[in-house]
Amino acid sequence: MMIDFLQSLVDGVLVGTTYSLIGIGFTLIFGVMHKINLSYASASVGGAYCGLLLVGAAGGKSALLVFLMAAAAAGVIGYVVYLTCFRFIPASHPLGTLMSTVGMLLLIDEIVVHATFGVPVAYPPLYEGPSIELGELYIRPDYLMVFAVGIAAMTVLTLLLYRSRLGLATRAVSQQPVAAQLCGIALYRVNAATFVVTGVLGGIAGAMIGASVGMLSPLLVLPLTVKGLIVTVIGGLGSIPGAIVAGLMVGGFENVLQYYRGVTERDLYVMLLLFVFLVFRPGGLFAAKSERN
Amino acid sequence: MLEVKDLAKHFGGVKAVDGLDLHVRQGEILGLIGPNGSGKSTTVNLVCGVYPATAGTVWLEGQEITPLPMHRRLTAGIARTFQNIRLFGQLTVWQNLWMAQNAPDHVREQGFFARWFGGQARARASAMDYLDFAGLAEKADELASALSFGEQRRLEMARALAAKPRVLLLDEPAAGMSAAEIETLDERIRRLRKGGLTILLIEHHMELVMGIADRIVVLNFGRRIAEGTPAEVQADRAVREAYLGTS
Repeated sequence: MMIDFLQSLVDGVLVGTTYSLIGIGFTLIFGVMHKINLSYASASVGGAYCGLLLVGAAGGKSALLVFLMAAAAAGVIGYVVYLTCFRFIPASHPLGTLMSTVGMLLLIDEIVVHATFGVPVAYPPLYEGPSIELGELYIRPDYLMVFAVGIAAMTVLTLLLYRSRLGLATRAVSQQPVAAQLCGIALYRVNAATFVVTGVLGGIAGAMIGASVGMLSPLLVLPLTVKGLIVTVIGGLGSIPGAIVAGLMVGGFENVLQYYRGVTERDLYVMLLLFVFLVFRPGGLFAAKSERN
Repeated sequence: MLEVKDLAKHFGGVKAVDGLDLHVRQGEILGLIGPNGSGKSTTVNLVCGVYPATAGTVWLEGQEITPLPMHRRLTAGIARTFQNIRLFGQLTVWQNLWMAQNAPDHVREQGFFARWFGGQARARASAMDYLDFAGLAEKADELASALSFGEQRRLEMARALAAKPRVLLLDEPAAGMSAAEIETLDERIRRLRKGGLTILLIEHHMELVMGIADRIVVLNFGRRIAEGTPAEVQADRAVREAYLGTS
């Protein structure tokens, strides 16, 4: 019994890195734009599709190539989302931006349905091999790969955000938009860069989801959007460490519940977890200090 | 050097700046004074492009900069400090200066990739020069928000200088400072002028501005009511009335 619990927990946490990445994306865009981009998970899955379709159209089969193309395509989609939903919609209409991201969510979803005739497509695993045995625990190599890639992506992102001038500029812009611009920083370029970077991150997450599930389906978009938002709330809006921890937590939590209560019932508990947090810890695990001073 | 021609800014019916002409000459310190609400800060904001002018133009070295967006004005050669401090609080002191390294010189020296993704050592070395000047060198790695008020004011100035401007706009740099701090500020501004920098100084502190400015322009109700040397301005009847009320 105990070992089954542990097994589902480990599997869930490993795959939970994808939730972490999606949560980070939501949180990063919120940190810079002070707005929620609801199309994010949809764009991530869309990017994963693009990687598969582009490589497939070119006659390629390499999983690595699919993966890289997914990241690149999602970066481009991120830029397009910025242009259509944020750049030209005046800040005085926050609802306009929110609604346009909902529209973008559905648009990408519809494009995917149209391009794939609504049929799920097989996605190549990043790594195949025998399971690693840890006592009675089995670590699936494809899950481990998902975890490793996720951690690598987070490390690169953290270095980018806290060490590079680009990352510091995004934080400067979110703290003091006017002063940052008078320092010669082009607001829209930094914002666009944020969307591209988070897009790439989402593409990686989308491809990893495809790789760990073994297929991609438009049906993934809505649950992923909801999970991403839940991770963001539980982690604390604007907090990257929060999103990471919350992603792993939600991943483990839902997988354990799936084992005990079944796949159709598990999300009920995930939603309940959201409400528990909203009532008892509305700021999330790592309530982000307001960076705007 | 910096010229403002027939500049106007109306907020609804309020004429914050109304047909202002201003000329800051190469290498001088021009003091801009006036009672509260006379349009000094609005003028600075218009010169920096924080909001668009209702009418009029701004020129820098014979080139019109009125249509330029905010971030391009720094590239054109204008840097400023803020009356209400606007530092990047969650960044360290030297990183605040790093953010301002966007002058054409900086862009030329470093490649695109080095500018945005690397080149910390070089950026830091160049930032340290200005931190030395502002007396903040030993605080370089502290968070800007952890500095005292006086230090934050100095950091504002260091950050503006790090952009290698040709014209520096100082928006009430002495506000809230102690007498001793104002004295070192006075000395620093004089050193900047000696180094050939052109300065537009907006200041309430009369002793500072009268002692340091080469010329002074007095604003009231968004218009220029007097211009001249500190002595001339102090003797001006309209200026006395603006400050003390008509008698």
